[in-house]
Amino acid sequence: MNGALLVQTWRWQAVKLAIVALCAVGWGWLLPLFYAQFSDSIRTLAAQNPLFQQLSNFGSGSLLTLPGTVTLGTEHPIAIALLGVFAIGMGAVAVAGERQRGTLEVLLARPIPRRGLVMTLTVALFGLIAVVIAAMLAGMTLGAATQGVFDQLNVSRLPLVWVNGFLLWAAFGTFAIAASVSFDRSGPAIGLSLAYLMVNYFLEILGTFVPGARWAQEYSLFHHFQPTEILTGSADPLDFVLLLAVAVIPVVYALVVFPRRDLPAPG
Amino acid sequence: MTAPHQDSHPDAGAPSPGQAEAALPPDSRAASPPEPAIRTERLTKRYGRVPALNALTLDVQQGEIFGFLGPNGAGKSTTIRTLLGFLHPTDGRASVLGLDVATQSVEIRRRTGYLPGGIALYDSLTGMGALDYLAELQGRPPVRRAELADRLQLSATVLRRRVRDYSRGMRQKIGVIQALQHDPELAILDEPTEGLDPLMQQAFYAILLDLRREGRTVFFSSHILSEVERVCDRVAIIRAGQLMALQHIDELLARRKRKVALRWRGGTPDLSAIPGLADVTVHRDQVRATLQGAMAPFIRAIASPSLEDLTIEPASLEEAFLEFYADGDDNPAEVAG
Repeated sequence: MNGALLVQTWRWQAVKLAIVALCAVGWGWLLPLFYAQFSDSIRTLAAQNPLFQQLSNFGSGSLLTLPGTVTLGTEHPIAIALLGVFAIGMGAVAVAGERQRGTLEVLLARPIPRRGLVMTLTVALFGLIAVVIAAMLAGMTLGAATQGVFDQLNVSRLPLVWVNGFLLWAAFGTFAIAASVSFDRSGPAIGLSLAYLMVNYFLEILGTFVPGARWAQEYSLFHHFQPTEILTGSADPLDFVLLLAVAVIPVVYALVVFPRRDLPAPG
Repeated sequence: MTAPHQDSHPDAGAPSPGQAEAALPPDSRAASPPEPAIRTERLTKRYGRVPALNALTLDVQQGEIFGFLGPNGAGKSTTIRTLLGFLHPTDGRASVLGLDVATQSVEIRRRTGYLPGGIALYDSLTGMGALDYLAELQGRPPVRRAELADRLQLSATVLRRRVRDYSRGMRQKIGVIQALQHDPELAILDEPTEGLDPLMQQAFYAILLDLRREGRTVFFSSHILSEVERVCDRVAIIRAGQLMALQHIDELLARRKRKVALRWRGGTPDLSAIPGLADVTVHRDQVRATLQGAMAPFIRAIASPSLEDLTIEPASLEEAFLEFYADGDDNPAEVAG
């Protein structure tokens, strides 16, 4: 770990972080609003029409309860875009981007072990993900309070939701870092990381809309992000363990592979 | 193939640290052999089957300015990157400041300053911000920064501007400062004068000479032969990953062929017995030839009242360099000093 590198990395991301965190608060605030305003109507429609019933449940989420709405909101493409800014956007260019720009030479000319570089960038990424998820949950809490549904939100369990969400996005982020140390250019690293995210999302969607393909959800990381279960007190610790393992494996890969890589002069 | 051989350095002037070692009595040399600043032993780097560096063996003595010459793709940057741990040698070994490049590269980089060829900097930072950041990462105070900025004419106003607004020359100046600001024991500089104007090149050479005076070692790659000739104590010439020559500059120059032109009054004497004279062409009273080797026997042999004019072109490193690249085969290596 290198303190100067960590601080500078965060400094470079500060403006982006402020904007994304603000958007996350806003998005989080909207979720209880949707729930408060539309859940009764949707419940009525869902009772009348099986299609609405199907559409009101997405992934592990549901518009019919506040915890379900929280889940739905945090798996929504907008939330994915906000968190992907850092998990994919920053993770995939963390090393490959420096290499592509040529600044990795200057960086590695300092007494920084390559493993130290990987660890520092990973910690920096974790910090950013943690802040964005916290901002989103803060927005939800604020929204629940302003919409008068605060009593339906088990606030004491929100830290666990934060941990669960953090582990999910840490898993995507570390995959992006592993891709980043494997390529000399950002393009392939971003492409591979996005593909990984999309495949996971696709498996979750597939299982939602095609009952026969529900087994596929088990293979999606999104399926192990369970705010509803956490907020209702029925969380499975195995989801946490699995996400943790999936987050750690790419870090181990990067720590092993990056120091062994040859870094020829940029072309 | 030219067999490797060891020559003594003919320079009678102030000894460089490498020469000073050679001047020590044999006993004291045996008692405390100074550690070379850089040592490579059959250092080899291959990319698949393609050899980028082929059994490179050389020593760079502490306190010398060492020039590393070769055209693009010869293996200069591969050597440097292997010394700094960016590349892993396929075979052979290397040490920098007595530290193994394979296992102690972090410590090597702590004590070394490195200027990459065509340096890239963080565009969003100011010049001063970039230098501060890199000094902080280096973990050593930038004790030489002010002096270097002054000598390279980088004012405080310029350093407050963002790197993205800098010209190539200004970026290169920042590159030089970041490599030397923490006063490293060894500076490894890849094409250091690229982008510097002639005035700044002079300032840079003066910096290098001061570093040597203070006992620092400088290893720099270049294809600008005049600068190598001007500041280096020794030079290695590399071609296709192989060491072609490793010699003191003046020794290398002394071995080069010089073009000579002579004009005689009343007929040309027999020049066939003059040692080192070749390629003789006679046109009326004019003689043109090439001369290799010591000058004194030649001067003695041609000394005559009928000699009307004599022109000897100075030996240049460029010719020496071109000679090593003239023949097609990759014959290593003339090694001296």
